[in-house]
Amino acid sequence: MADGTPAPDPAGFASAVRPFLLTAGRVADDGADGHWLPVETQVVATPEGLDALDRLTFEQHDIVAVCRLPQSLAEIAARLRLHLNVVRVLAEDLRAAGQLTVHVPDSGVVQDASVLRRVIDGLRAIPDARGVPSDSD
Amino acid sequence: MTATEPATVRPPLPVKMVISGGFGVGKTTAVGSISEIEPLTTEAAITEVAAGVDDLTHTPRKTTTTVAMDFGCLTIDPTLKLYLFGTPGQERFGFMWDDIVEGAVGGLVIVDTRRLDDCYAAVDYFEHKGIPFAVAANAFDGHVEHTLEEIRWALDVTEGVPVVVFDARERGSVRDALLVVLELALARTSA
Ligand SMILES: Nc1nc2c(ncn2[C@@H]2O[C@H](COP(=O)(O)OP(=O)(O)OP(=O)(O)O)[C@@H](O)[C@H]2O)c(=O)[nH]1
Ligand SMILES: [Mg+2]
Repeated sequence: MADGTPAPDPAGFASAVRPFLLTAGRVADDGADGHWLPVETQVVATPEGLDALDRLTFEQHDIVAVCRLPQSLAEIAARLRLHLNVVRVLAEDLRAAGQLTVHVPDSGVVQDASVLRRVIDGLRAIPDARGVPSDSD
Repeated sequence: MTATEPATVRPPLPVKMVISGGFGVGKTTAVGSISEIEPLTTEAAITEVAAGVDDLTHTPRKTTTTVAMDFGCLTIDPTLKLYLFGTPGQERFGFMWDDIVEGAVGGLVIVDTRRLDDCYAAVDYFEHKGIPFAVAANAFDGHVEHTLEEIRWALDVTEGVPVVVFDARERGSVRDALLVVLELALARTSA
């Protein structure tokens, strides 16, 4: 980000300690009964969240800002270089505060025949190559 | 929701597929061939229980490992988006797989036919989880080392598991391999 924060470490990711601090020691865990939020869970900033942007701390600010358009948890983690589990915890906090909406996909709906047919039809319509002509045929 | 509230954008329904296989078989290449964005990589900290996972670790203690997974996506329409996750193929990342795979509609196991045994872990995983999957033999250098029947026999996959030849670098080829998996998933819904 262009806000003068130091460059990430050489590996490009924060140390193992830092995510722990970010989430005040809480970690997303899949405990005995609990479940992870799936990596493709969609997250969107609410108008309240966007209004509150200035008051949010760095990671929370960045998460809300990046979610102006819907993003999956995995995309948020990749774009902000945060650990997936940190994003899981912070997104849940931001949802509870009304700054994000978190849409957990219903596997029954996703695996429904009509949805699968739409994916199949959409994928069939994808051309062999991208717009740029390739050297094959 | 009342009409006076500013609307929060409605996200698409995410449909997830998983691309797996051993080291260097072409997982990232396949994701990149079909994705509308440059494949993204994220690192996730995973806790693994070492006991019975592999023989590199002899202590049955929990360890935290960081693994990379990459993914891409394809917008089908404004309400539907396909996500493709490439998972590390190693057996000891089993924990990570569950984290990624939960809720996936299907899987594609990529194999390099010069080293078929690299994909056993992935095949076992999808079979065990009951997730519809196909095996895609990546045609490195334009050909595969074995016939499809030989591959099927070597991997010991059941009749219901399609085995296809594909080229991870070709968009149309990856598309067709994914379609095979989706057709299989669809067939299951009417079973
Ligand atoms: N000739 C040829 N090369 C390929 C093909 N698919 C992938 N490659 C090359 O093989 C190498 C490995 O491909 P990747 O897509 O990185 O494989 P991967 O499975 O993601 O590898 P890891 O993530 O390291 O396990 C790259 O150099 C690719 O360019 C193919 O169909 N033909
Ligand atoms: Mg890769």
